[in-house]
Amino acid sequence: MYFIQHIESITHQDSFQKKNIWDELKPLTADTGLISPDYKNYIPVAALRRLSTILRMGITVSKACQEKVSHEFDSISVGTALGCLTDTEKFLVTINTVSGDILSPTAFIQSTHNTISGQISLDLKNHAYNMTHTQNALSFEVALKDGLLCIDEGKSSVLVGAADEAIPFLERLRGSLIETSHPFTSGATFMVLSGKKGESISHIQACEVFFSEGNTENRIEKFLSSNNCSLQELDLVLEAGSDFKSKTSAHYSFPDYSGYYQSASAFAVHMANDWFIENSDSEAILIINNMESNKLGLTLIRRNEVEA
Amino acid sequence: MRIYVTGYGVISSIGENVEESLLALRSEKTGIKQGQKTYTERFKVGEISWTNEELVQRFQLTQDASRTAILGMIAAKEAFRGHSLNPGIRTGLISGTSVGGMDVSEIAYKDFLNGESDDLSIYRNHPSGSTSEQIAKELGIDEYVNTISTACSSAANSIMLGARMLLSGQLDRVVVGGTDGLSQFTISGFRSLMIFDDEWCRPFDETRKGLNLGEGAGYIVLETEETIKKSGKEPIAILSGWSNASDAYHQTASSPEGFGATLSMKGALAVAGLNPGDIDYINAHGTATPNNDLSESHGIKTVFGSAVPPFSSTKAYTGHTLAASGGIEAVFGILALNRGILLPNLNFKQAIEETGLVPVKNYSEGNTIKHILSNSFGFGGNNSTIILSKV
Amino acid sequence: MSDLKENLKAQIIEQLNLEDLTPADIQDDAPLFGDQGLGLDSIDALEFIVLLDSNYGIKIADPSEGKEIFQSVNTLADYISKNQ
Repeated sequence: MYFIQHIESITHQDSFQKKNIWDELKPLTADTGLISPDYKNYIPVAALRRLSTILRMGITVSKACQEKVSHEFDSISVGTALGCLTDTEKFLVTINTVSGDILSPTAFIQSTHNTISGQISLDLKNHAYNMTHTQNALSFEVALKDGLLCIDEGKSSVLVGAADEAIPFLERLRGSLIETSHPFTSGATFMVLSGKKGESISHIQACEVFFSEGNTENRIEKFLSSNNCSLQELDLVLEAGSDFKSKTSAHYSFPDYSGYYQSASAFAVHMANDWFIENSDSEAILIINNMESNKLGLTLIRRNEVEA
Repeated sequence: MRIYVTGYGVISSIGENVEESLLALRSEKTGIKQGQKTYTERFKVGEISWTNEELVQRFQLTQDASRTAILGMIAAKEAFRGHSLNPGIRTGLISGTSVGGMDVSEIAYKDFLNGESDDLSIYRNHPSGSTSEQIAKELGIDEYVNTISTACSSAANSIMLGARMLLSGQLDRVVVGGTDGLSQFTISGFRSLMIFDDEWCRPFDETRKGLNLGEGAGYIVLETEETIKKSGKEPIAILSGWSNASDAYHQTASSPEGFGATLSMKGALAVAGLNPGDIDYINAHGTATPNNDLSESHGIKTVFGSAVPPFSSTKAYTGHTLAASGGIEAVFGILALNRGILLPNLNFKQAIEETGLVPVKNYSEGNTIKHILSNSFGFGGNNSTIILSKV
Repeated sequence: MSDLKENLKAQIIEQLNLEDLTPADIQDDAPLFGDQGLGLDSIDALEFIVLLDSNYGIKIADPSEGKEIFQSVNTLADYISKNQ
């Protein structure tokens, strides 16, 4: 089992360093903005000056996670769908507007996807396995599956997370390449997973990914039954892009709360973990990530059993 | 359980398949020359001369896509040739890239910046993940698709993740490697770092000034022992070791003592159950930047002590192909294993004063080579090593 | 010369995003690199090359030349006045 030792999010919700994010959670409106902590409390000023939003979020939630667990991470696995968009766009503008050979390198350096995980390792002086996955709307799930594999291989303190940032340019693609009615948002959620229960309240039982069109309901039923569960036994479904509202007792569309970024299913894990705090009779939560119709991510999260 | 390699494919400026690459390696012929595109013409680059449209036609690809995806399709198709899809063999694709579809999206974005109308549909090629989905589609793979983006170690990390997923039983077979097409974004980016050499790059040479960029793709097919029984494929190599570690020193520079490099090389040896003395050839990362080659040399000396095996960088042949390099160099490594090749480090004249290390200078075949270690190091201190062994 | 130094300080703050500093915080002879001074690094050294090019039209082709030039505001100002 993969126990969630600690989880942190910076999103458009007031979600950072909260006991229970549901206390402040409300559906986002169109004029939503990122709720940022004072990054200076987490990142040295000398480093902070160069960092875009996605890097600030990623490093800060990672650091907050590291502060809460005593062990150094022995694996870091990060998912991002579009990576460091601000710096990518900035460097694109530079190469198209600055004539001559001498170009400012900082945006280029910070534009690669693994700047997030690389900066985390730098900030934490962490020499462990360090991976960056990017697979559109399943970017978080493939990073999570790597983290779970690390635990199977014997790693004991695994940092898994996802981050994406919105830039105004994305609005141009709405309706053509990106089908969503939700506002484009930024967000980062990182969690510490371990094979030992510790103080955790919930664990990830399984995560599965599909890369082709198919019957979602069949896939869900098969996934659940192979994990000794069924749709009827679920206490909550958090979903994007599918509609299992009528089939379960409680149901939320997680992009209503996260807004649209393709790795937002990581935030749904945070919603699931904290749901167990107040809802003492809830046992099992399924996250259905069907944000892109030709892909499906399923993540089953369970409350830890109370030991007698 | 052993992880077998049952296929390989490669395209770079020295050749558009394995056979052509071998001929170029044997004749010590570099693919690096003065660039032909408007944004490469002032530099020496390892450029593939065909345009995207020409490549799609020549290789009978079913999709028009970015250069990165097209090069990936070509090499992955070669690697997967002779393999068939079969519901009993769960097959995945893990592909590394650093720029994804930038070579086409940067053109659309330029139109947008200039106030002209940009073709929005082009941006569908942009996400790195889409690059891999297009390659997977070309092969018919839809069981599992993933993209690793850790800059210049991306392909090596894809190979590593593939092996781990086979070992854990999540897949039976996996196509792994990496691809990167040249784009203005990349050329300008490395230019801004001031690490180009205007002359031919000279890895591990005292007078080295920097790198030449290149483009290409390299993939290998991994199968478990069990899968081979079903697929009936003949293994061409064993993937015996892999490791990734973080240098945690600087965003772009490597630590002077090669700490991360040492960790990844030692880690891969441990996974393979081999001693440093078992390694017969090292395919170094060797980008020819002053910083990388010195740091890697120190790492090699730390791991191998006074008995450094024959080593070389093949980047003076292909240029630095970034996310593809670990895949391309894995293919070269398999060639070296099966023919006993020691690959030369072109353009080398004078050892780095501080280390005195002299790489392989001339091509030779028929050497006894059982185990090869291949390094790939990326920005952000992302260091990876794989070990390939003779079947 | 003192005008040049004051301009330089403002340009350094802008080019390097040192938003928390004012020109008064940068001493003329204080080391810019390393832990003793502003704590700048090799990426900043490249940004200095951009600064010299875009503000003063001075081109430095080899980044290793920068070491001597970028020691402090004094050495930078010296180099600019000799090469402009």
